Amino acid sequence: MAATRRLQKELNDMRVHGLKCFRDIQVDESNILSWTGLIVPENPPFNKGAFRIEINFPAEYPFKPPKINFKTKIYHPNIDEKGQVCLPIISAENWKPATKTDQVIQALVALVNDPEPEHPLRAELAEEYLKDRKKFFKLAEEYTKKHSEKRPAD
Amino acid sequence: MMAECTINDNIDESDSDYSDEDFETYYHPMEYGDSEENHNPVDAEDPELFPVECLTMEQVEMFLNEAVNSVCHILNINMSLAKLFLLFNNWDVEKIISGYKLDITSFLISSRVLPTLQSQQQSANIDDNDCQCEQQQPGSGNIINDNVFICPVCTCSSLKSLGLCLECQHTFCTECWTTYVEVKISEGQSTEITCMAQNCNLLLQEVIALKLPISSYLKLQYQHFAFHNYVISHPLLRFCVGPNCNVIFKAKQSLAKRIVCPQCKSVFCFKCGDSYHAPTDCATIKNWLTKCADDSETANYFSAHTKDCPNCNICIEKNGGCNHMQCYKCRHDFCWMCLGDWKGHGSEYYECSRYKENSETANESAKARAALRKYLHYYERWQNHAKSLKLEEKTLEKIKDRINQKVMNGSGTWIDWQYLLDAAALLAKCRYTLQYTYPYAYYMNNESKNLFEYQQAQLEAEIENLSWKVERAETTDRGDLENQMYIAEKRRKTLLKDFFQT
Repeated sequence: MAATRRLQKELNDMRVHGLKCFRDIQVDESNILSWTGLIVPENPPFNKGAFRIEINFPAEYPFKPPKINFKTKIYHPNIDEKGQVCLPIISAENWKPATKTDQVIQALVALVNDPEPEHPLRAELAEEYLKDRKKFFKLAEEYTKKHSEKRPAD
Repeated sequence: MMAECTINDNIDESDSDYSDEDFETYYHPMEYGDSEENHNPVDAEDPELFPVECLTMEQVEMFLNEAVNSVCHILNINMSLAKLFLLFNNWDVEKIISGYKLDITSFLISSRVLPTLQSQQQSANIDDNDCQCEQQQPGSGNIINDNVFICPVCTCSSLKSLGLCLECQHTFCTECWTTYVEVKISEGQSTEITCMAQNCNLLLQEVIALKLPISSYLKLQYQHFAFHNYVISHPLLRFCVGPNCNVIFKAKQSLAKRIVCPQCKSVFCFKCGDSYHAPTDCATIKNWLTKCADDSETANYFSAHTKDCPNCNICIEKNGGCNHMQCYKCRHDFCWMCLGDWKGHGSEYYECSRYKENSETANESAKARAALRKYLHYYERWQNHAKSLKLEEKTLEKIKDRINQKVMNGSGTWIDWQYLLDAAALLAKCRYTLQYTYPYAYYMNNESKNLFEYQQAQLEAEIENLSWKVERAETTDRGDLENQMYIAEKRRKTLLKDFFQT
C-alpha cells in the first residue's frame, strides 16, 4: 500500500519533470512494482545507443531497495553478462527509504558514463579499461552498435 | 557466579578418569592436556599464561553499565548517548571525556549525533527546493500549513506533532520510522541504524528506537543485537567463537593470548578471535593466511602427498606425524622434509627448518623465482606440520589400540600406559606451536632471525624425537619418553618466551 502510493507519486514526478538520460518509462498497468526504461548515456563509447533496464521494487518499498537489471547487453566493467549491476546506493546496507528513484537512476547513469574499474563485476573488462583504454573504447563501441537500442529522438 | 579460570589449567585431565568420550574431545589438535602444568598451576614465567574471567550476559551488562554510568555522571548526559559514545570509542572512557570537554560540538559531530555544518546547509537548501516543487506541482494541491508536513517516505501528509526527526531535522512520520526500524532490526541491525534521508549518517539512538511502537519481540531483538555490538566493540571482552556457546571472556588486557573455553573447549586467540597463532602476531598471521589462500594452488602443486625414498626410490606415503621416515622396503632412515639422511638430524645438526638465503639473485625473474622459492619453503613446512597434526589423530587411535592389546596380553596395566596419551597430547601442542613459527619466520627480517631459526630447529628436532618415540613406545618404561616430553616443552616455552611479543 505504502509502496503503491509512493511509486505512483515518483512516477508522476518523473513523467512531469522528465530525465534526459532516462526515457520511455513503461509500467505494467497491473503491477506498479515493475518498471522498464531506456538509459541514454552521454559519454563515449556508450553514447552510440540506449540501454533498456528493468527496475523491480519489492513489496516493502521504500523500506527495502529496488533491484535493477540491464535487459540490453552492454560492454561495461560494472555490469555483468546477466545484466546485473553493482550500485552502492541500492545495496541493502546503504539503502535509505528517502532515496528517490530518480536519484538511483542518476547514480546508475553516472556509473555507465564513467566506469569504476576499482570495484568491477567483470574483472577482465576492468583490466582492459585500465591498461588499454583505446582497445576498450573500440570494443565497447562496436558492442554498443551491435546490441544496443536506438536512442530516442529529442 | 563468577567462574575464574586460568587458561593454562584448562581441563584437569591428569587426575580425571579417561573415558572413551574424553579421548575423542581430548585429542582435538587444539586441546592439549597440560598435565605437567597442572602440577604447577601458577607459573608466572609462562609466556602463555593469561588469566581471564568467564562472564554471563548479566555480568557483562553490569560491567558495561559501570562504564555507561560513569560517562553519564561525569558528562551529565543520558544513558543512550553515553552508550553511543562508548560504542564508537571502543569503551575508552578517558578519551570520551577529554574529547567531549575539548569541543562538544565537534565531538557530537564526529559521534554522528549532530550533522556536519556542510550537511546542515545542504539539507536547508534541499528543503527549500522541495517546498518549491510541492507548490509548483499541479497534482499536489495540498495546502501545507504550519501544522502539517508531507513525509518524504510515504508521501502522506501528517501532523507535524506526529513527525520525528534527529538533529539533522529530516522529518518523517512515526509510522515510517516504525516500519523502517522494524525492517532494519529484522535485517540484524540495531545501534547502526541511521536517519532515513539520503546521505545523512546520523545515528538513531537506542532511546529513540525503543520508544517507537515496535513489537516487543523486535525490541528484544534490538537489545540482543545492541548487546552483541557492545561486546564486540569492547577490547577487553570477547565472545567464545564456539558455535552456540554463550561464554563471554573478560581479560585485563587485550593481548594475543590463548583462550580455551571451559564450556565448549574451543581454542582461539583473545585479541583477534581466530585460531591461536603464537609466536606470530595477529596482523602477521592474517597476512600469511591471505597469502596462502592466494598462492595455495601453486604451492599445492609443489607439495605433493607422496615422496620417493631417496635410497631405493620406492613411492612412500606419509602415514603418521613423524618426519623421521623409515622406508618400509629398504629400511633407510631419512627426513621427510629435506629427504636427507636422518643421521644428520640430531639436535646439533638439525638444519632443515632453516631457510638459506641465496645471495646470487641477479635479475628480476630470478628474484621472483627466489621469492616463490622462499615462500614455498615456509609454506611447505607450515602445511606439513598442519598435516602431521591431522595424521597424529590417527596415531592416537593406533596408540589406543596398542594400549588395549598390551593390557590384554598382560604387559602392564591400563594405568601404566597413560603416560603415552599425555605424550601424544603434548606432541600435538608442540607441533601446533611449531606450525605457527613458520609464518613468523617468513616475515622476520632482522638480526634475531638466526637465533629464532636456531631455536625453531631445536624445537623441531625435539618434536621429531618425541614423535618417533611416541609411535614406537614398546614398554611401560616411561622415563625416557617423559624426559623427551620435558625437553620438547621446555624448547617450546623458551621459543615463546623469547619471541612471542603480545
